[in-house]
Amino acid sequence: MRSRPAVLGQRTGLLVVGSIVALLVVLPVLRLGYVVWDEGSTGFAVLLARPGLGEAVTNTVLLAVAVTAVAVPLGTLVALGLRRADVPGRRWWPFAMLLPVLVPQFVLGYSWTQAYGRGGFTDTTLGVQWAPVLGPWGVLAVLVVNTVPLTYLFAAVGLATRAEPNLERAARASGATPMSMLRNVTLPLLRPSIAAASVVSFVLTLESFAIPQVMGTPAGFTTVTTTIYRDLSLGSDPVSFVEAIVLALLLVAITVIVVVPADLWLGPRLRVTRVADPEGAPIVTTPRSGSRWIAAGLGGYLLLGVAVPLVALLAAAVTPAVGVSPSPGNWTLDNFSFVITSRNIEALGRSAMLAVTAAALLTLLGGCVAVLERGRAGRALASLVTLTLVLPGSTLAVALLITYGRWLGGTLTLILLAYLAKLWAFAHRPISGALDRLPAEELQAARASGAGPLTAVRTVALRPLAPALLGAWLVCFVTALHEVTMSSLLYGPGSDTLAVVVLNSKELGRIGPTAALSVLLTLVTVAPAGPIWLLVRWLRAPRRARARSLAHAP
Amino acid sequence: MSRRRRWWMSVLVPLVLLPLACGSGSDEESDAITLYTCVNDESIQPIIEQFESDNPDTEVELFRAPTGDLNARVAGDVRSGGLKADVIWACDPLTMQGYVDQDLVGAWTPEASSEIPAQFRTDDYVGVAVLYMVAVHHEDVPAPDSWSDLKGPDYGPVGVPDPSVAASALGALGYFNQAAGYGLDFYSALEEQGAEQVGTPDDVTAGVAQGLYQAGITIANSAYLAKDAGSPIGVVWPEPGAVAIYGPIALARDSADSTLAKDFISYVVSEPGQQVLADAGSYPALPGVTGPEVPADAPVVYPDWPQITADKDTLLSDYQQIFGG
Repeated sequence: MRSRPAVLGQRTGLLVVGSIVALLVVLPVLRLGYVVWDEGSTGFAVLLARPGLGEAVTNTVLLAVAVTAVAVPLGTLVALGLRRADVPGRRWWPFAMLLPVLVPQFVLGYSWTQAYGRGGFTDTTLGVQWAPVLGPWGVLAVLVVNTVPLTYLFAAVGLATRAEPNLERAARASGATPMSMLRNVTLPLLRPSIAAASVVSFVLTLESFAIPQVMGTPAGFTTVTTTIYRDLSLGSDPVSFVEAIVLALLLVAITVIVVVPADLWLGPRLRVTRVADPEGAPIVTTPRSGSRWIAAGLGGYLLLGVAVPLVALLAAAVTPAVGVSPSPGNWTLDNFSFVITSRNIEALGRSAMLAVTAAALLTLLGGCVAVLERGRAGRALASLVTLTLVLPGSTLAVALLITYGRWLGGTLTLILLAYLAKLWAFAHRPISGALDRLPAEELQAARASGAGPLTAVRTVALRPLAPALLGAWLVCFVTALHEVTMSSLLYGPGSDTLAVVVLNSKELGRIGPTAALSVLLTLVTVAPAGPIWLLVRWLRAPRRARARSLAHAP
Repeated sequence: MSRRRRWWMSVLVPLVLLPLACGSGSDEESDAITLYTCVNDESIQPIIEQFESDNPDTEVELFRAPTGDLNARVAGDVRSGGLKADVIWACDPLTMQGYVDQDLVGAWTPEASSEIPAQFRTDDYVGVAVLYMVAVHHEDVPAPDSWSDLKGPDYGPVGVPDPSVAASALGALGYFNQAAGYGLDFYSALEEQGAEQVGTPDDVTAGVAQGLYQAGITIANSAYLAKDAGSPIGVVWPEPGAVAIYGPIALARDSADSTLAKDFISYVVSEPGQQVLADAGSYPALPGVTGPEVPADAPVVYPDWPQITADKDTLLSDYQQIFGG
């Protein structure tokens, strides 16, 4: 039975976090609903029956299912494969695996068309092209490449926080084959992380815009988000605006139908309570030839998925004009000097500051919801924060503008609120997947032994959760830094962010400067990611190894 | 407060307050107006800089975004206390007419507007910049003389910009739909000989430069920029003419008393303002101002925007029967 102060604390937490959810998520979504009810209810049936909408909805849902079905098993397999101690270069693969997520979505989509499309890099240099790169197959491939790092991260964080090497050892000692150990011990322990990865990849695909727009629209492949963009681009009249909102709310409805039952029903069933520290060292496998295949597979995936497109991008960035051969004699840095201006650097600084702040607050907020979701009301909060993740950026920005623009219009604060609303689920899901490493009894034991609440959380909870918290922070930081749609709609004088720079470059329509900016953006994100990844590795290392490395430090 | 707790507070409080402190809130003592536009940064910044330098202690606060985002921002403003802009400078008449119909802008144009060709103005707004839809071709094929030449065997696949994405492409579609000897049959014929629809006019230019298409329909700025940078393409203003799409500027209804807003619009319409715009790479609307490259005696045609605005949905739906999407 739980003590009265604990119940009271839980209730206060629910009240505080519930109020923030109401302000950031519920109120803006309701405000959108009110606009539709107030201005467009009469044409609702006509709108939903309009030609092409059914196809866009079907495409969107099928795409989300396909991306989830491919990316989640792939990410999990990679995480399991990289547990093996004998994979060549094992220390660096995790960092390499995260590279695709560090590349902004529009850059990845665009670089694939530059790499594999007709007249692209491989076509001009090797005579090899992949015609379906423009169309549903190209969209699916790039979304998978973009999503796998996330699903890998979820699985890797799950393994770091949930693995039970002693259980696995016991299974092996009892004669279990590696497959049966995987099926009966490892995967059941990973279920919450896999479920979290599935929800996030499904929802992220529903709301993805840049990749379907760059690679799908030219081939006539429409999704709900590209239809919204079209509605807003050619219509300054209220009807087009209301149509765009209805379509955005349709995405919310799809999310409610899929995610809420999953959260309410699956959540408690997937959860188990375990001790705070895994017992025993990780299992060390004997070297086998299979490990080389794992390394080769990962290498091939990264080469085709990321390296070749990025080389194509670099080639476009150093070439003066489209159609000019990217041979060394033609190389120029003009495109880079065109985009590196003091105004752009200021905007980058603002974006970095916003991203750092948003990621820190999101990790805190995500952790709060993860703690609270052990109760039914808390699980409802967990589902609610997913709703704003699925709202397309432009619609969420409009929702916040309508709700708070009167007071906060044009300020960085409104952009920060948009990031918090949009990415809350992003921070919450990986932490949630790792949190059952934290039985309440151990916290209570620390408190009973005289530790203050903060000390108890710091010493008992933070350490085993550190990989998940850092993972959540990293994902939020990168996503906020790349965010274009919301900030480009919400910025005001003196609060222009990287988004404005990106859009200016894209709007100019020149491939060279756009490619140069994309290269710089990728570098800006990859550079700080290296040290952060090393920190994650250090935190994940067993305490004794850390102490040794500190003792050896000069 | 314990030392540890103080440490936590010292980390958390600034973290939360930092962005709040960085809001825009410019409270300086200067006369300021807000401009909403979709005109690209390269063209808009020199105009603002020159206006601010000619009018000390004034400030033009800029919100610049693509048309779709501009529409969303205006819609958001309207539903949260009213339009925050004093002046809107749009990239096409269709967008601006939508704002006029909602009584957000209009009812005033500067006196100098009469110098701007009649095709580029109404009583509510006046065109200040022009996009010309021209033909672009790969240098391996002969230059087309007329738009209808693009249907011929020389041009294999032709790149066509998507009219449901770019208003300039919609303007061209609207013009061809009404032009004698063209109509939607022109697009059907292009499609039958392998034409492909891409996103924006810039995508058409890039596609022709890469050799994906032998020719295409694009905007002159984009084509000349690529050609001057070394892309293997040629630019033609074909008969019966390059399709002129004007970008109009208008005063917000709520700023009807703002002298500074009116001064800014008057400046953009004036010869000095038009020259700054032309020097920045945009085609000016005022005749006689020297701007980017226009071939001697280049023919120009004008779409009927009121008709396009009225027929937009049907036009796009009929077009999509041909190209899909």
